[in-house]
Amino acid sequence: MTETSEAWEGAVHRVFARREPAVHGIAEQDWQLGEVCRDMAARFRRGGRLITFGNGAAATDASHLAVEFLHPAVVGKRALPAMALGNDAPTLSGIATRDGIAATFEHQLRAFAGEGDIALGISPDGRCRNVHRAVAAARELGLLTVVLSGGVREAAPAADHLLVARSADPLVVKEVHMTYYHLLWELTQIILERHESVRTA
Amino acid sequence: MSDGPGAGEVPDTIRELYPFLYEGSTEPDAVPAEVMHAVRDKAAELIALRRTVVAACAGQIAACAGAMAERFAAGGRLFTFGNGGSSTDAQGLATTFLHPPPGSSVLPALSLTSDAAVVTALSNDVGFEWVFARQLAAVGRRADIAVGLTTSGGSANVLRAFEEAARQGLLTVALAGRDGGRLAGLDVLDHLFVVPSDSVHRIQEAQATVCHTLWEVTQQALGGARDMVRGEAR
Repeated sequence: MTETSEAWEGAVHRVFARREPAVHGIAEQDWQLGEVCRDMAARFRRGGRLITFGNGAAATDASHLAVEFLHPAVVGKRALPAMALGNDAPTLSGIATRDGIAATFEHQLRAFAGEGDIALGISPDGRCRNVHRAVAAARELGLLTVVLSGGVREAAPAADHLLVARSADPLVVKEVHMTYYHLLWELTQIILERHESVRTA
Repeated sequence: MSDGPGAGEVPDTIRELYPFLYEGSTEPDAVPAEVMHAVRDKAAELIALRRTVVAACAGQIAACAGAMAERFAAGGRLFTFGNGGSSTDAQGLATTFLHPPPGSSVLPALSLTSDAAVVTALSNDVGFEWVFARQLAAVGRRADIAVGLTTSGGSANVLRAFEEAARQGLLTVALAGRDGGRLAGLDVLDHLFVVPSDSVHRIQEAQATVCHTLWEVTQQALGGARDMVRGEAR
């Protein structure tokens, strides 16, 4: 029993340690994250909205991301318009039943989005067909497109900005995505505040 | 300076199309240096925080995963809950157990925020403080597991949920931030994992690692023949 406990404790240490290379990867993407936020801030300044989507556990990240912008956890920060497409289970299952799962987010985007908006798709392995189709539709409509993926870079859909988590473990990718979107929120706020202080100076 | 050169002659329609061209000194393409510094600072902060958590809690995480595995083996189910971003993290945890990566055991799990009708009915008729406790009272059984996430440790509905879960004999697992808040003083918890940070974001990121570790070690404890070191990209 004690041996088993020790083995599990060892496993806990290994699971934690496995995250670190992926977090170093985030630090190395500082410039890229800055560019994404510069472009997102520009869209928000012109009245654009953030529309997020993903499947499975990534759908919960899409929702987390949207609430982060819409109702910031940090008191006093500006609220920005955002919505997650995965919250509407009836519509999702309706589209999936009639037209197939690949049609889901694209259908909602075409109905909701305007050209000034931002489409942010999350696909942990870059291969989600509905994310591919929605991002392609968003580009066609003139939205700013941002994709969070992981594993093989080439699998991800073509987008204005692609952030690839440096891990093939879907749970590590999910954690990197969480850090990505927390940073996207924070840096976008910094850029918007800075822009405001320049304008009012 | 608020307007760029020649701004006076530009029709409004054109200004709306290309506002940056007429904003003068703001340099739209420049990414502030503080933004880049922030990324590196936060990444370093996150690595340090996770190291602190695993150094303090590794044994307890292992014990908690063992207890969760025993509950699942006895027919128990997992219920998760939280507010705001923590509600999506709770939903993510339930999804990870119920629809895990290929090759893992499927385990019964439900997030208590996923049914808008139930959440709004209980909030409207009984009060938001009871939104999770009432659901546990209705569907919870002795063998089950209750996992609640909060960054403050002070969410009243999460506290009420743990009190109800403990009353029924569920395994109670709490994830909190900062100093643990009111959860630190709640004597009904079987496991409390406190992530000692003042940043809501870093707390959630470290809590996600604790949750994923609980999932992975639970799978191992249940005897799932999984390779514990799944393929890393590099």
